[in-house]
Amino acid sequence: MSRTDITVEICGMSGDGTIAAGGLLNDALAEAGFSILAFDSYPAEIRGFGRCITRSRITGTQPLALSDKTDVLISLDDKQSISRIPILRENGAVLFDNHPPAFLPEGESIAAHVGTEMQLFGVPFGDLASGASGSLRGRNLAALGAFASLFGVQAESFHQAIEKKFGPKGEAVLDANLKCFDAGFEYGLKDLDDGSDGLPKLERQAEGSEASLLSGNVAIARAALDAGISLYFGYPITPATPIMEYLAKELPKTGGKVVQMEDEISSIGAVLGSFYAGKRAMTATSGPGLALMTELITHGVMAEIPAVILDAQRGGPATGLPTKTEQSDLHAAVYGGPGDSPRIVLAPSNVLECYQFTLKSFQLAEKYQIPVILLTSFYLDNRVETLRLPSRTETDTGDWNVYPDDDSKGNYRRFEITESGISPRALPGSEGFIFTTTGLEHSERGIPEYGGDNHMRMSEKRHRKIASALPDLPPPREFLKNEKPDLGVISWGPTFGTALEAVEKAQEEGLSVAALKITSLFPYHAEAIGQFMQRCGDILIPELNFQGQLANLIGHLHRKEVIRLNQVTGSPMEVGTIFDKIRSIVD
Amino acid sequence: MKEEHFIIIGMGPSGTKAAITLRKQAPEARITILSKDAERAFTPHMLPDFIAGKILEKDLYPYDPSTWDDLDIHIRRCQRVTDVSPGNGHLLLDHREVLRFTGLILAVGGRPQIPEPYLPFQDLMSTLKTVKDAKQWIEKLEGVDSVLVIGGDLTSLAVAKALLHLGKKVFFLINEDAFWPLRYDMDLMRKVSERLSQGGVEVIPSGKLGGLFRNANGKTQVRIDDRTLQVGMVGTFFGLAPDIRFLARSGFSMDRGILVDEYLNTGFEGIYATGDCAQVYHPGLRDYWVSIGYENALNLGRIAALNLAGRRVQAKVSGESIFKVRGVNVNTSWWVEF
Repeated sequence: MSRTDITVEICGMSGDGTIAAGGLLNDALAEAGFSILAFDSYPAEIRGFGRCITRSRITGTQPLALSDKTDVLISLDDKQSISRIPILRENGAVLFDNHPPAFLPEGESIAAHVGTEMQLFGVPFGDLASGASGSLRGRNLAALGAFASLFGVQAESFHQAIEKKFGPKGEAVLDANLKCFDAGFEYGLKDLDDGSDGLPKLERQAEGSEASLLSGNVAIARAALDAGISLYFGYPITPATPIMEYLAKELPKTGGKVVQMEDEISSIGAVLGSFYAGKRAMTATSGPGLALMTELITHGVMAEIPAVILDAQRGGPATGLPTKTEQSDLHAAVYGGPGDSPRIVLAPSNVLECYQFTLKSFQLAEKYQIPVILLTSFYLDNRVETLRLPSRTETDTGDWNVYPDDDSKGNYRRFEITESGISPRALPGSEGFIFTTTGLEHSERGIPEYGGDNHMRMSEKRHRKIASALPDLPPPREFLKNEKPDLGVISWGPTFGTALEAVEKAQEEGLSVAALKITSLFPYHAEAIGQFMQRCGDILIPELNFQGQLANLIGHLHRKEVIRLNQVTGSPMEVGTIFDKIRSIVD
Repeated sequence: MKEEHFIIIGMGPSGTKAAITLRKQAPEARITILSKDAERAFTPHMLPDFIAGKILEKDLYPYDPSTWDDLDIHIRRCQRVTDVSPGNGHLLLDHREVLRFTGLILAVGGRPQIPEPYLPFQDLMSTLKTVKDAKQWIEKLEGVDSVLVIGGDLTSLAVAKALLHLGKKVFFLINEDAFWPLRYDMDLMRKVSERLSQGGVEVIPSGKLGGLFRNANGKTQVRIDDRTLQVGMVGTFFGLAPDIRFLARSGFSMDRGILVDEYLNTGFEGIYATGDCAQVYHPGLRDYWVSIGYENALNLGRIAALNLAGRRVQAKVSGESIFKVRGVNVNTSWWVEF
């Protein structure tokens, strides 16, 4: 594999086709055999306001995180892109439209802001698009064409990506987009050749790749399909909506249905109802929706009904920052709701885990008869990675319900107190297995019973059941080079990838640092986490929330106060931020 | 109070020297250098030494990249000026940005010129102006044992010396045609020829280039009068032509270069020209002269900056200025035949 590691950023105004261009770039370079990690950032408004940015890290091997610096900035709107110059490398390259429709006062062109060592490539995006297709709409494609020629990407890779995206829209649309791309490509070959010598070349990787490009959201939706869901209930909310959109197309093909509900309360209610009847279902929402679902989630806990709920976290509280990333629903996911209502909470850290953990959620929900909350975040849901999905096994897709023996027929105790806490669950309508289900505290037969002793025993059973799930949950994973590191960095969600890259960089510099990834947030592997902590001098927990919610959850396992690194800027944490913190602690 | 904004067009030796001088004279002023090229500021006269392997690439760059930030001089590379409006105090960049200035120094330099009879063969000829050109020379020379040098400007002599240093066989076609800014008289031509011959160069007396093509084995076949040469590569050196076409509508007085007075002023207040693109008036001779050479470029750049900053410094030159290059005396020519 090559040592290629280039980050390309496309920046424009809503309506410039920035996100579309980023998607094509990712598809084309994935087709050319590169590994991609890409993330888009856009305003909450639908169109016409604000800045859109796509960042794509293009590497020979799968990157763990976005890089802090940009190598190439493609400006589709100079006013928006000027603010991106500070994160461009000192010798980075800028492609911009050098023939805007009107004369610009000094300072309004990005050319006025590039650094001394940066390379500037003016390309008349608009003129090229207009000449090729009669419309300015293909400016983004002309920009991609110029980029491809400058960086040695084969036009064929982009042609395939363009055909995939625009082919379904008809020949005229496809043709216009191909022409715009080609116009930019040819301009680059003819007019930009002089300055392109020192640029890295993204030539097709010899080994090729069978991996595909998936977003976190699509990986989750694919897993839901592979898990055999019959129903999806949801109410649109950023950043979870793409899951419903994907399933709306794909689920009917397997005989399932997607139902847009009137709100999140009805969505979780319908999911519980579906599982209650023995059919797998799921819902996906974000923080505000999770808040609405809270009571019914605890109903699932009390009535021991499975459910799978995805909480795609965004900036909060309340409606907060709809299109920005954060990890601040951890407390709500673990503790939210009335009473002692233990549930399972998992947090994937990358797109592959989005797929794996979603599959796992259905198994856990069925086996432990409990709502399972998957915690992702805008940064994970909306980013794309190249990966090869593992092939499914029967274990992955099979029925994980624990059914009662025939012996209990006629004397069925739906909430029987067992050593594991798991009471075999009969589906409603099963002959000889009559039971009552209620959100009230109940007896083993499900009859409401408010006695203190009963409540105590039932609470113990529900918590015992959750504790017994621990061996089935993904364990923490250590990344260490020596047994007694000076510092252990513990993180969760997509911030872990960033943390690991920072730790690896620190290890390369000879610092005694280790990393621990935690993906099971409740219940969590206290013993393994505690052992890791005890081996480390200090513990640093970087996370995208203000309160240090993971630190609050597991900090007590360490013999001294854990060090927190919290950020709520709406953006992913940077490798440099964590690395600098590591160095300030260890050096 | 209007902010002072001095713009220098060109990032060659003269332009960069002007910028640095200006910074000392006007610590508070905004200073911008515009360059159409992607390359960093370098020392052109050292390119032959770089080709000869006597110096490293880094030695070509006289300024550390941080110099400009430290001096608060804004460098804008790859940005071509398409028009200057001296009266309005603004200029236009090719990406349609309008820049206002309170003072302007034109230091645009020149581009290698190839006389018209040679134009049909230019794809087979190498020139030398930039670091990139020099790298191409180095690359091409790897598989080459002989080189034909055509022309006779200062660079050609230095390149011939570099080629000899590399052990290449050098043919030198001295062209008696006048080329800017030098002019050979027969006496000088004889002296140069003798010096080159003594150095091991095979000098071909002025002849007519009849044809030039690349043969099957990758060599270049050159026909000069009745003689046919087979060489590895061909270089042409006919001096630099001032790159001032973009000023055609600006109202500056221009001949082959920009005409300036002895203070390097263009006739417009606050606008000066320096370096290869300037033709400087000599009040004693009542004629214009041009300068060549690195040191002269620096000196003119300094004078232009001082005068823009309000000083009154004259660009002095003796009647027959002589430059010594690689042991060969070369006369500058007065601007009479152009």
